Amino acid sequence: MIKNRRILSTIVGIVQSLIGGAAAVLAVLLFFNILEVQTLFKLPLELLPLCLLVLVLFSVFSVINGVSLIREWWRID
Amino acid sequence: MTNEKKYGLFSAVIMGLGGAIGFEIFALLNYAYFDLAGPSMLSALFFCGIINLLTMLSYSELSAAIPEVGGEYTYTKVAFGGVIAFMAGCLRWLASIFGGALAAVVFVEQLGVLFSVFAPSIQDLVLANVSLLIIGLVVILIILAIRGVEEATTLIVGAFLTIFVIFLAMSVGYTLTPQNIVPEATGNSLVVFFATAAYLFPMFVGMRALVAGAPQIKNPGKNVPRALMITTVLLTAVYFAVAYVAVGAVPLGGEVTGSELPLLNIAASTILGPIGAILFALAGIFASVSSVGTAMSVQSSILGGMSRDGYLPNALQKAHKRFGTRYIAIIASSLFVIFFGTSGAVEFLGYAASFGSLLVFALVNLSLIQLRRKKPRLERPFKAPFYPLTPIAGIVMSVLLLTFPIVLNDVNASSALLSSLGMISIVLVTYYLRMVKREVDFNRLQVAVGGICFGAGVTVIAVAPLIVTSSLLVIIILVGLVSIIAGILNIFVSARKID
Repeated sequence: MIKNRRILSTIVGIVQSLIGGAAAVLAVLLFFNILEVQTLFKLPLELLPLCLLVLVLFSVFSVINGVSLIREWWRID
Repeated sequence: MTNEKKYGLFSAVIMGLGGAIGFEIFALLNYAYFDLAGPSMLSALFFCGIINLLTMLSYSELSAAIPEVGGEYTYTKVAFGGVIAFMAGCLRWLASIFGGALAAVVFVEQLGVLFSVFAPSIQDLVLANVSLLIIGLVVILIILAIRGVEEATTLIVGAFLTIFVIFLAMSVGYTLTPQNIVPEATGNSLVVFFATAAYLFPMFVGMRALVAGAPQIKNPGKNVPRALMITTVLLTAVYFAVAYVAVGAVPLGGEVTGSELPLLNIAASTILGPIGAILFALAGIFASVSSVGTAMSVQSSILGGMSRDGYLPNALQKAHKRFGTRYIAIIASSLFVIFFGTSGAVEFLGYAASFGSLLVFALVNLSLIQLRRKKPRLERPFKAPFYPLTPIAGIVMSVLLLTFPIVLNDVNASSALLSSLGMISIVLVTYYLRMVKREVDFNRLQVAVGGICFGAGVTVIAVAPLIVTSSLLVIIILVGLVSIIAGILNIFVSARKID
């Protein structure tokens, strides 16, 4: 049972960390408008700061939550 | 016994002017004049001088009472300790990062202006490779900073003042008619006025170099407050005079829109001809290079100090074996300068540097009030006059300047403020992750982060169908589901430990 929970947590933790990383990359792409991402998402300029803030916060909390999940469940004997 | 050299009042004033007079005058006047306030920018400059003076009174009292290295970080540490000091250090670091990035952008801009005079083909090359040039400049300065090359502050201040005096002397023959210096008493004009003052504020904040250097000054209890007052008055007068002439030489509504060249460069070439254009471009280049260098050294010293106090990883205070400089801190900070510098967004960087500094100013004023209450017997060779009105006025003014650009709905200001808030929240999380020692508190923090992720997941799933098209909807719902599951798992494991 513990083994299954450990595998589930590790997978969810890794996926969430990756999602957090992807959100950070998207924020950078949006900020510098690399690959014309702002046009691609049809994002109005006025909403850009809000989107960036949401993405950055989502990214930070996702990475912290993901990493702590992996760390916690690997400490269980 | 050490024989460290101590500086007198004159050197202290030069130290303050050296910290303040710099690239900002080239970068910030443009947007303030052409896009925000027009000639009433001059009143905004004067207002900045008054706010600076108010906070400098608090700085004077604190630097005389606590003559230790570290400036704002040390004052807030003595007054509040813990997270407030950490915040002050981080905000100062952030403001320095944004300021350094802005200086790097100005360097490339001025390089372009210089080449436009005698080699337009090279100017095109410069403008086509802005990011590459910024990275090149920062890398060279990283090497110089690690090697510990000293700055020639006095020389740069002297050169600047000479150029400004020539500029002002030659402008006497011109008919200067800057209209509407005083803003109209309408609501919108006042909002624009305060927003302009907020944007121009970084032109003054470099004066803090004088406070940081207080331990090197003879009789700091007397000389630092005097030098701060003299520097504020001189700085406001010089800025006002230079901007007054520039506004007179380049009237609004003419052919010039400010999109081609910075205001000061246009004014210099109008008044002094091609020689003026070259002289000011050279001044801009030297000032910006010096500012990037100073920003890097300030950043490494802040990170090193916070690392010494256990707030940040020990690696950041590691010194280079040969040169004795904090090379990891220098490289880490420089990466941020490159990141923001290559954006080339002058207006955003101007506001971002300003917001960081204004928040630090508010914290310094709060520290003064707190220390007067907490340590009334502390020896204070200088006391801020009209206490508590002076620090309260400093706090109110700082908050006003923070608020008005947002009221104006300036997208650059909103971006800068939200980016700063985002970075502050990261800073706070970092602090708690780093400093919370007790396991039970750490578990509470984990429960909180789990709860945030759970809430974010639910919100994402609820809101996504309303704003996203079907192709992206599946991906976003999956992201929301992962957040919910991860949040529940984290709450489950940590809450059990708290019980």
